[in-house]
Amino acid sequence: MKADNAIDLVNVTKKFDEVTAVSEFTVAIKKGEFFSLLGPSGCGKTTTLRMIAGLEVPTEGQILLEGGDVSSTPAYRRNVNTVFQDYALFPHMTVRKNIYFPLKMKKISLSAAQPRVKRVLRLVNMEGFGNRLPQQLSGGQRQRIALARSLVAEPAALLLDEPLGALDFKLRVAMQKVLKDIQRNVGITFIYVTHDQSEAMTMSDRIAVMKDGLAHQIATPDEIYNNPSTAFVASFIGDMNFVHGTVLDNDGKTCVLDVEGKKVTAKRAVDLNNGAAALVCIRTERVQVNSPRSVENRISAELSRIVYRGTDYEATCRIGRAELRAVVQAVAWDAALRVGDTVELAWNAEDVIVFPREEEKDVIKYSVEAV
Amino acid sequence: MKRRISRPGEFIKGIPIAVWLLALVAIPLLFTFIMSFYSSSGLVIDRTLTLKNYKLFFTDSLYARILFKSIRLALAISVLSIAAAFPLAYMVSFKVRRGRNLLFMLCIIPLWVSYLVRIIAWRTILGNRGVINSALMAMGLIKEPLTFFLYNQFAIAITLTYICIPFVFIPVYTALEKIPRNLLDAANDLGANELRTLFNVILPLGLPGLITGFIFSFIIALGDYIIPLQLGGTQGIMFGNLVWSQFGFAFNWPLGAALGFILFIIAVTILGLTSKFGSTEGGFLGE
Repeated sequence: MKADNAIDLVNVTKKFDEVTAVSEFTVAIKKGEFFSLLGPSGCGKTTTLRMIAGLEVPTEGQILLEGGDVSSTPAYRRNVNTVFQDYALFPHMTVRKNIYFPLKMKKISLSAAQPRVKRVLRLVNMEGFGNRLPQQLSGGQRQRIALARSLVAEPAALLLDEPLGALDFKLRVAMQKVLKDIQRNVGITFIYVTHDQSEAMTMSDRIAVMKDGLAHQIATPDEIYNNPSTAFVASFIGDMNFVHGTVLDNDGKTCVLDVEGKKVTAKRAVDLNNGAAALVCIRTERVQVNSPRSVENRISAELSRIVYRGTDYEATCRIGRAELRAVVQAVAWDAALRVGDTVELAWNAEDVIVFPREEEKDVIKYSVEAV
Repeated sequence: MKRRISRPGEFIKGIPIAVWLLALVAIPLLFTFIMSFYSSSGLVIDRTLTLKNYKLFFTDSLYARILFKSIRLALAISVLSIAAAFPLAYMVSFKVRRGRNLLFMLCIIPLWVSYLVRIIAWRTILGNRGVINSALMAMGLIKEPLTFFLYNQFAIAITLTYICIPFVFIPVYTALEKIPRNLLDAANDLGANELRTLFNVILPLGLPGLITGFIFSFIIALGDYIIPLQLGGTQGIMFGNLVWSQFGFAFNWPLGAALGFILFIIAVTILGLTSKFGSTEGGFLGE
């Protein structure tokens, strides 16, 4: 709640009738931070953003903007601006008039606003488009104008609601870079809502991973990837193997588990007693196939499927009833391997993450890597 | 992109519309136009072509005066109808969450009641022993019934406004419904309160609906002759009554046709001028 925070959420809860959209969300977002709200649709990320914008009123809790309580301040008096998912440009105004709009609302004359309008147009690389109408622009151009319009009044924070959702893949990747560069240049706090984990991972300083109105983890991309705090986070970000195991020996630093009759060692603090049912997680790219390197975990398995994906191979292997997938760089792949061969899978003990078996219901079953 | 109607299928589809327009609009109009160059002596129509009827309109100032009065009243009625229907449409479209369809139906339900019944209803509201006077007398505010409610332009204006409100409400409501809701969020987010959102976003985007509503009410009000007849008293002779009386009483059909055609030209001119603004998809009002 210090003044050098751009935004503080304190136990913010939002209920629509009886449905809880956001539940006791607490976070402090620093000035100049690129903060992402990440989660599947319906997780409450957009509702959270709309509450920060003032377009929704929290049922409980406080929202502070640069240290001052704005919980009951209407949106039009909050010093934050939003880039909406479908841009929400005013169709009856030219690009220049659209960008001038927030300044006009601050009673700044058109002539006084002109240099600022020009500056943001240059910032988003859209000089010379001032007299166009929104419907004469492409999706990516509209997106940049929406960004310029939200930036021109120099808000304390910029809120972005899936701003790249409507763009095709290549343009989206290009715009991610543009957004990140602009954020660095202007130094404004960005709060970015997305359901796309790779987008959140590549752009953010910190990410809040949400599900069903709850923030499961708020941490840096590195922390979220390597030390997910729940099985949901582990499954939502990156590509993860989940297999059933039972705790054999847990001394608080190293945990030995039984997986399909084989021993698997995890080198991290695990909060489970001996004999407890566990969910064992290993990143697919950390699993090595027939590796010469010496690592703690080595298990022989039967190759059941090989998928070539250009830069890498995905090898699905069977260990008893369990299945493990290994993603191996194409250059490191042994081309002689065939389905049905017996291989040795190996991975570091540091790469094994263990959750209680109850969390299995939260695991996102599909794995989408294309986006 | 222009649609071409070169294929025979498209052409055949157009035939019913063409026949409809020809039979119900173009041919009667053509007859009226020809008729306006005839003249009448007694009960006989003289079919030699003459400009007599139009000459009469331009020389006898009575006609121009009544036409001017009618236009002025029709304008007032249009403005009143918009003033009444816009807030209604605004509330139903933006402020009501549940029961919106019901409210919409309630707003247009007067259209299901006969026009004449509604006129008679207004007579019983405005009359000497009508609802308003009875209520005021019962409250002891007045001793004698007030007579300025009925048989004057006020009565015509209020009743025609009532008749026109649904015709303005429907296009305005439709236009407001078409405004993407995220534009209102965006305006609010960018610093506009409700009033400034209304003037900067909703009104410019709802303008086509307002103009359509204006055209509807103006044309209904300009051409009506039953309400002036029923509620207008001696002040209530409107241009529509003049036209109607040439056909109904005076048996001077050629003069009636000429006056009717003049009214038609005025209506078409106004329609042409306003629809120029009404049909654009936006971009005509920068502020």
